[in-house]
Amino acid sequence: MMPAAGRVEGWRDDWWRRRRTRELALIACFLLPSITVFFLYRVLPLGWNVLLSFQYWSPLRPARWAGLDHYEEMLLHDDVFWQALQNTLIFIGVSPLAILFALGIALLVNSDLKGAAIYRSIIFLSYPLMTVAVGIIWRWMYDERGGIINFVLRESGLASKPIPFLQSFEWALPSVIVAEVWQILGFYMIIILTGLQSIPPHLYEAAAIDGAPRWAQFWRITLPMLKPSLFLCAVVGILNSFTSFDLVYIMTNGGPGHATELLITLIYKSGFGQTKFDYAAALTVVQFALLLALTYLANRAVGGNAGTLQR
Amino acid sequence: MISRRTLVKSGAGTIAAAALGMPAIAQAPKKISFLTWNIIDQEPMIRGWIARFMKDRPGVEVEWLDKKGPEIPVFYQTQLAAGTPPDVINTQGALGLEYAGQGALLDLTPRLNAEADVRTRFNADYLSNWVYEGSNYMLPFYITKTLLFYNKPMFQKAGLAGPPQSFDEILASAQKLTASDASGFLTLNFDWLYWPLYAMNGVDLLSKDLTKATFNTPKAIEVTERLAKATEAGAINKISWTGRWVEPNGAFAAGNVGMLHAHSPAYFFVKGQGKWVTPETLGVAHAPGGFATPNSHGLGISKASKNPDLAWDFLKFVTNEGAQELGVNRKLVTGNVGVDARNLAELEKNDPLVHAILKTQLEHTDKMVGNWRLGNDSRVKEAFWPELQNVLLGRKDAKTALADAERKVARELKRG
Repeated sequence: MMPAAGRVEGWRDDWWRRRRTRELALIACFLLPSITVFFLYRVLPLGWNVLLSFQYWSPLRPARWAGLDHYEEMLLHDDVFWQALQNTLIFIGVSPLAILFALGIALLVNSDLKGAAIYRSIIFLSYPLMTVAVGIIWRWMYDERGGIINFVLRESGLASKPIPFLQSFEWALPSVIVAEVWQILGFYMIIILTGLQSIPPHLYEAAAIDGAPRWAQFWRITLPMLKPSLFLCAVVGILNSFTSFDLVYIMTNGGPGHATELLITLIYKSGFGQTKFDYAAALTVVQFALLLALTYLANRAVGGNAGTLQR
Repeated sequence: MISRRTLVKSGAGTIAAAALGMPAIAQAPKKISFLTWNIIDQEPMIRGWIARFMKDRPGVEVEWLDKKGPEIPVFYQTQLAAGTPPDVINTQGALGLEYAGQGALLDLTPRLNAEADVRTRFNADYLSNWVYEGSNYMLPFYITKTLLFYNKPMFQKAGLAGPPQSFDEILASAQKLTASDASGFLTLNFDWLYWPLYAMNGVDLLSKDLTKATFNTPKAIEVTERLAKATEAGAINKISWTGRWVEPNGAFAAGNVGMLHAHSPAYFFVKGQGKWVTPETLGVAHAPGGFATPNSHGLGISKASKNPDLAWDFLKFVTNEGAQELGVNRKLVTGNVGVDARNLAELEKNDPLVHAILKTQLEHTDKMVGNWRLGNDSRVKEAFWPELQNVLLGRKDAKTALADAERKVARELKRG
């Protein structure tokens, strides 16, 4: 026969186990809808997309196994893929520069500058604008005949003839990038500004007492403390570079030639313009792999623990 | 707890309700859907067609959907994938052939053979634009092809007597019309609309059996080089090779471009924006040699339609009873020979300029080019056009670009 103390302990263990099971069941119930939606709308399509990339498929034809044909086509024969990849990487490469620019602006509007709040609002205003509207506005500003940019350049004597910003191979991509940076700059600035304002002032006070110069305070306090904000900006910048479909579609539709083609516009054109859904699926797999790799690198760059819970 | 009596009552009630509902299900109307391409402005007319069609056919229902141009392929293909495509579909250009090539459209040939009066209703050249591998998949809804618009005051100022009669004259006239703020020539470029410039030089894109690329010839290289040089010199406006619809038409409407090579609907855009446009100032002509690229709207039936006979009835109704109203309302030609003759006769009295424009659409219909009956036209276009753009905008030499284009086009043709 079990002694009384042992019985109590066994009963207590059972109680804790039952309670733990109930808790887990409750957690599972709460998570289930989200997990179901995530599985149905993310994991399943992604899996199907990967499968599709190894098949010949169109809406009305039965799928046939293609093996690596689409990947071979993409890597060995499709110049447009390489152009689109290069443009996408340039788009991504510009993100750090835009973040640096936003950091400078955030430092300025965080200082005692007169009218800083007004500048802050003006810079942020571009972010909530619809991307389609931004594309149309910039397209008209760049217009060769009636655009304000060409007007100013010609009136000020900086250009003798109109510059076909969106119609030339040389200017088209930089012009789209400028519009892209203009729109997202406000977002970067607000994120960095929030980071700046959450740095405890006593750190600067202590550094000042120790005689640290301003640049040292920036390198040793500001930048390290801004790491999470900068990481967020970098990730959003990368994602934004991959999904700048609407801006490119409105401003240049990937042209002239394929001078502003991005992977995302190429995927759309292949799928819906040329009914090559199978090939578009292969392009999507490459884009996804690239996105994963870049996010991993960005995470590593900030110490490998971005996004972990701080207890 | 439910008693046995209540349970039996509920069961009996359910069975009775189901039995009463069955005739209603059996009498559910036959329904077809009608997808149009960006003609929402004609809503009262289309609703009127549907009402008249349904009135004569009790128990029939027609649902109308309209989508803008870029949305149509996305919408239709997702509907195809879901197995619920609209019964009757309106497409522009070669898209209908692409869908036919995919097996999405119903072959209308047996129906056209069985009803000779329907076949003879249409201009045969336009009707043949939707023949894919020997079968006809669409009927003309409204038809267009390219022509040459020209700015008469600019021509007079440049000392030009009239529109050019050859490719050489196009370039020479364009050069004469060019000034610091004016250019001589503009063309629309989408859907092969620029192809008459090559056709008038005897260059063809593909072999007759559509299996080989035939454009990489010394003549094609020469034509391309001349176009590139004229573009560099400003005689051909660069927008010709970069814009799509708004930009080139807008540039011509501004009044400082001598010629616009475009299809007939461009007139309404130009007229809307260009205050200078009057019957006295706007000239209308065929491109040299009478060559033109069609860019018409057709109507087809989805193969997955559950009511193909009803859809065919609707197609015949729209292209006959509906065509008259459409032609008058939108000032266009429909491809229905009788309807167009009546409408043009009216327009000659009421609107001579539109009459002159629409008349060109029914002339030289045997000289239509750039309308290869391919099931993968968009892929061939994508293989060819960017390379041509590279030359015309000064990025590559013609010889290299056409060789690259030939390789890419051959690859697409092989892919099928």
